[in-house]
Amino acid sequence: MTSSSNRALIDQWIEEPAPLLPILHAFHDRDGYLSEEALREIAKALRIPLADLYGTVTFYHHFSTDPDRPQTAPRVCTGPVCRLHGSQDLLDELADQGATPMACAGRCDEPTPVLSGHNVYIGQHADALEIAPSLLPPFNPGGVEECVFSAIREPGRAMLDGYRRTGGYEGLAQAVGAMAPAEVIELVRESGLAGRGGAGFPTAVKWAAVADAESEPKTIVCNADEGEPGCFKDRAILDHDPHAVIEGIAIAAYATGASRGFIYLRYEYPHTYSVLERAIAEAYEAGYLGDDILGSGFTFDLYLRRGAGAYICGEETSLLNSLEGKHPFPRNRPPYPVTHGFEDLPTAVNNVETLAAASHILRKGAAWYQGLGLDDRAGTKVISLSGDIQRPGNYEVPFGLPLKTLLYDWAGGPLPGRTIQAVTMAGLSGGFLAGDDLDVTLDEPGIRAKGSFLGAGGIMVFDDSRDMVDVAHNAMEFFAHESCGKCFPCRIGTQRLTERLNGGGPADLDDWLTEVQDIGYTMKELSACGLGMAAPAITDSLIRYFPEQVEGHVKA
Amino acid sequence: MSEQSSVTLTLTLDGKPVTFHEGETLYEVATRHGKAIPTLCYDPRLAAFGACRMCVVEVEGARTPVASCTTVAAAGSNVSTTSERIEKHRKTLLELIASENPALEVDPLRGYASQELATLVDAYDAHTGRFAGEHSGRSKIEDDNPFILRDYDLCISCYRCVRVCAEQEGDYAISILNRGFHTRIATEFDGLLRDSACTFCGQCIQTCPTGALADRKALRFAEMEMIAAD
Repeated sequence: MTSSSNRALIDQWIEEPAPLLPILHAFHDRDGYLSEEALREIAKALRIPLADLYGTVTFYHHFSTDPDRPQTAPRVCTGPVCRLHGSQDLLDELADQGATPMACAGRCDEPTPVLSGHNVYIGQHADALEIAPSLLPPFNPGGVEECVFSAIREPGRAMLDGYRRTGGYEGLAQAVGAMAPAEVIELVRESGLAGRGGAGFPTAVKWAAVADAESEPKTIVCNADEGEPGCFKDRAILDHDPHAVIEGIAIAAYATGASRGFIYLRYEYPHTYSVLERAIAEAYEAGYLGDDILGSGFTFDLYLRRGAGAYICGEETSLLNSLEGKHPFPRNRPPYPVTHGFEDLPTAVNNVETLAAASHILRKGAAWYQGLGLDDRAGTKVISLSGDIQRPGNYEVPFGLPLKTLLYDWAGGPLPGRTIQAVTMAGLSGGFLAGDDLDVTLDEPGIRAKGSFLGAGGIMVFDDSRDMVDVAHNAMEFFAHESCGKCFPCRIGTQRLTERLNGGGPADLDDWLTEVQDIGYTMKELSACGLGMAAPAITDSLIRYFPEQVEGHVKA
Repeated sequence: MSEQSSVTLTLTLDGKPVTFHEGETLYEVATRHGKAIPTLCYDPRLAAFGACRMCVVEVEGARTPVASCTTVAAAGSNVSTTSERIEKHRKTLLELIASENPALEVDPLRGYASQELATLVDAYDAHTGRFAGEHSGRSKIEDDNPFILRDYDLCISCYRCVRVCAEQEGDYAISILNRGFHTRIATEFDGLLRDSACTFCGQCIQTCPTGALADRKALRFAEMEMIAAD
């Protein structure tokens, strides 16, 4: 290939903000891998030191620098739920096509996804793989009122016409047409909306901090890097209701005074990428994005960026480094992104679900959203439910719903003849809940009282046929695989815990427990970001709920 | 290094009031007042990185210990540079680090900072054999340049070499390959130093806290002296 065509690929993106990832993807798509020649040319054009660029490329799972392991070679999900459905056998069946394993790819409601180039196939055998659209969220049995799913099942909702037919962009029109930015923030404050990506930080407080920050330009980032195992809600929202998220982003931009925004989408959702590309183009065409939005004088540009396979890039400061083309280590905080975010300028990083909820709140009001929660709790949370359960799927629950109501009444309970042994919380990051602790309501205070947290809302169910030490080993292997390698307690600790859940470590039970608990204690207290702080919840809860399984493992 | 203003502020350090300037980090304040805080990823010439977590201190009101190298001192705070909790964490960390690599006996001629890890492991009596498991390093023995020995079997991924190369030399010759326990220090395309932007300045050797990078000239000289003495 000629160097002029290389140059054309670079020139397509170089004038846009955050150009590195799209340029790398352009070469990766064209050549099937990132060649030395390509990296040299990209480094030169973007003025990135070559060693730095090479190191950054190797950080991401899905970038290949090896022509014999092309971008199109199948990657088979070996996440916690897909393993239960024999993904290891599928991986073996596809070995002759050069298949490699990948971490949870967010299709836990329909295992097992196989990613190849820009397609995701699902199925459990090599001869029965098919491309299928994301499932719509199942209805809940009692007709409990929803927020982000309230209109998602309307026919044509993913297209602009269908979206507008069902109330779409009325919230944005209301905001830019009749409200001051501070009034938008006040409305969101009254609604009680908080971050739905896991941290639960009050959305209005974040927006106000960005609005009050003095530097410009300001940025909105929609975090769609849904990498937590067992979480697949953002995919469903974006595939079926993309304009709700785009509208939420535009509302956030108006409220904070941001002039540019990004959707940072995980690599494993290529179909979602094309949905968003089309929806953003429609929104520009109709005047909901770009210059002088709806004649209000407010201008805002939105860019779509695709990750390349790195769980840590869901951590907001890693995500910002990734967007900026830097090595995606988390940053030290403070300063926080609200003052020093993208390019060191004020930035609000919000989850997909949070932004979709904001669109509904602007249209239907703060009191309506507040009132959706049970008792004194405000609002709703989408739970991605999967594993050993009759009806997996995304369920939007009112905060305060008993976990057992979700598991048994909404989702049909365990498979015939089985009982529920344990569930995970926050995907994997909240560890396990089991036994009497399953009597808990779905809200942050309730679950935190059990030593766990709700987080992004992924719940995976494991029935009484499962070996919990094996489940824990797989979970810790995930954290070790995704540890960025910056802070020592996480880099070494996740590795040592993985080994100890796989037959390593002391043969004496007390020594084994002391080692595992000492590692966990230091990881929880000293790790530099949430990954290392959360990972020991797996071993802590395993030891707490399943001491006899642990004893059996160590003594074997 | 932090920017300092002329405003003098006060905090409580291990029970005693001390003064500091706005913008100073807790590590800078503490060391200036004679506290010995252990570090491994710290080099005063480089931007604070916050990776090794050895420098953690307790700040009253904070749920967990904080890395003193990256935490800016706040007026009125109550800071403890040592406690049973902190010392337990430091020992666990050192035992974890010691478990990464096969050896700790390192020739002081390897480099200026080469004894930092071994000294700390001794001070904390942390070479206990706990946390045994896979080793993380992989020495680049094929790099036969005459100046820099790349003995990454001893590497603890503090990235001081990568940072000094970028921040002090401006060469950007090396960076961080892969992730997690499998990170390695590498040039572009994982090649030899002579094919990279390396100028063999030796800064990386002198900041390495484990002797994973060594000055081959010094080692050769010692060898020659030994031969002469025989």
